[in-house]
Amino acid sequence: MLILTRKLGEAIVIGHDIKITFLEIRGKQIRVGIEAPKGLAVHREEVYRLIRDQNVEAARGSGMALHRLPDIWEQLTGEGAKK
Amino acid sequence: MNINTARFGEVPVDESKVITMAGPILGFEQLDRFILIVPDEKKPFWWLQSVDDGAIAFVVANPFAVKPDYEPEIPGDVAQALGIERPEEAVVLCIVNIRKDPLKVTLNLRAPLVINPVTKRGGQIVLEDHAQPIQFDVTGVPKTAPQSSIPVLPPGDPIRMLSVPSPL
Repeated sequence: MLILTRKLGEAIVIGHDIKITFLEIRGKQIRVGIEAPKGLAVHREEVYRLIRDQNVEAARGSGMALHRLPDIWEQLTGEGAKK
Repeated sequence: MNINTARFGEVPVDESKVITMAGPILGFEQLDRFILIVPDEKKPFWWLQSVDDGAIAFVVANPFAVKPDYEPEIPGDVAQALGIERPEEAVVLCIVNIRKDPLKVTLNLRAPLVINPVTKRGGQIVLEDHAQPIQFDVTGVPKTAPQSSIPVLPPGDPIRMLSVPSPL
């Protein structure tokens, strides 16, 4: 990992069109400004991981529901709601 | 074009109905072409089948059917990239996680799929709204959403694929 030290207000440029500016430090929190091309997704890592894992689980788990998918809604609204 | 799928066997694909996920489904960045398979129009659970990998399919749901007050805010640059000018033009679907024994069904409201039904371009967006749950439990919810009020895609919607072989 490349490690750099920056002062507040300074920035890092990645490639030619991504710029990360360090704006503010409050206790243990750092505010970062990101300039990136439109269409390039920027995610908080933990949120990205949560959603990716959820997607992977969904793709894996949907096989189990194969026979029942058309019935699941009915189970939820009817039979499934009785308990 | 026909594709071989793990769940539906060989499926004929009308290329004009293929959805391109320009903003990828996170974790599946290498797969960008999908078709929507609607087993039963009256039920809000459908399949999003990968065209590129027959083994990959997601169950997706119309979130408004289970949460009528759901209001995902589509970021301006995403709307622009997908060519969506008005929110009602977009088709919004959420990926469903189904766990069995006991049955637990959740929708990912935090990261919906937004699709422009005209250009058939879409993407998974991550909402800034932290209050939107990644696992919205619908197991007990649908009683509040009578079936008659289930909104579906507008009639004749171009991304719908109706000639669906019944699931194996």
